Amino acid sequence: MGVIVGAFGIPHNPHFPTWADGGHPLADEIQSMYRPLALAFERARPDALLYITSDHYNMFWETLPVFAIGVAESARGASDYPELRRELPIDAPLAGEIHAHLVDREFDVAMLQEVEFDHTVIAPLHFLMPEAEVPLIPVYVNAFVRPLPSARRCLQLGRAIRSAIESSPATTRVAVAGSGSFSLEIGGPRISEDSHTGVPDPVWLDRVLQHLRNAAIDDLVIEATDEQLWRAGNAGGEVLDWIAMLGTFDPRPPDHLDVQPQFGHAFAAWALDGTPEA
Amino acid sequence: MSVYAVNKLCRRIVHEPALREALRDDPEPALRAARPSLSDDEIRALIAGDVGSLSKAGCNHFLLHQLGRWHMFGLDLRTYGERIRAAHADERRAAP
Repeated sequence: MGVIVGAFGIPHNPHFPTWADGGHPLADEIQSMYRPLALAFERARPDALLYITSDHYNMFWETLPVFAIGVAESARGASDYPELRRELPIDAPLAGEIHAHLVDREFDVAMLQEVEFDHTVIAPLHFLMPEAEVPLIPVYVNAFVRPLPSARRCLQLGRAIRSAIESSPATTRVAVAGSGSFSLEIGGPRISEDSHTGVPDPVWLDRVLQHLRNAAIDDLVIEATDEQLWRAGNAGGEVLDWIAMLGTFDPRPPDHLDVQPQFGHAFAAWALDGTPEA
Repeated sequence: MSVYAVNKLCRRIVHEPALREALRDDPEPALRAARPSLSDDEIRALIAGDVGSLSKAGCNHFLLHQLGRWHMFGLDLRTYGERIRAAHADERRAAP
């Protein structure tokens, strides 16, 4: 039986690796935001990292799956930021098992036989897993091109992923990460006065943080309507990646939670013992 | 405007260095060769770096901002932001 040994909510600003290593004024802050997650990841000693993210128009465009899972042996990236270069292994056998389980549970998830990571994978792993090469299981949720999956459906996807991991014959220790912002506008009418990005709905950002602190996942799901996600910005759908991650374990407050309000995103970690529900 | 063709061009600009080079050397023939075809209005707007009108026409902003990021059509991220803010000044004033 596989066990989920830790969960992580992690942002993916593409500039952070370069800023953190290049003496940017925010370098220390960025390092200090990711460090607790990296330490928790190390302590969890995972054999695999199931990584839930949203492709930013890089791998998918002409055809857009609502949900997809990568079953290739490995993948390179970042396809959209050539300065971030890394090749990472994929746990193809476990990814294939999870995929089969999801389809059996009536989640008709697309199968990706070739994968190219974009910055949403490569940038955060620069901090979460700078050296170790824990194999990934990439899972994609469409958070950008409407119609988006509902928050409830994403939570159920997380639950089905948990059931897949726990019914696996291998005793794999799996960490789960969900990547994204809570309120973010990129290049659209709601950008700030001094940038090509903005945080249109800081109230929603606080609301999501409050629900995370209270482990009020059902409330988060009820409030994360399509209208609310759009109010949160053209990247507001990314909270769906967090919601899918939150479906993989019983609700509990995070062991670590920090926020960068100016970016509309947060950093979170849950240490989990992997004990299945009674 | 078809919008889809502009969105697709912006996406290709991220992934195709040869297309970026062709667009910088001589934008009009490179834009005429794009498939699906861009309309004359779209080609004029792109060459002018008029992201305001492309935004108003409904182009995807994440993809559109790639024109600024990759310094296409005389844009950078600063001028991109200025033109988007100017094009949407009315609704920005009306926003809570």
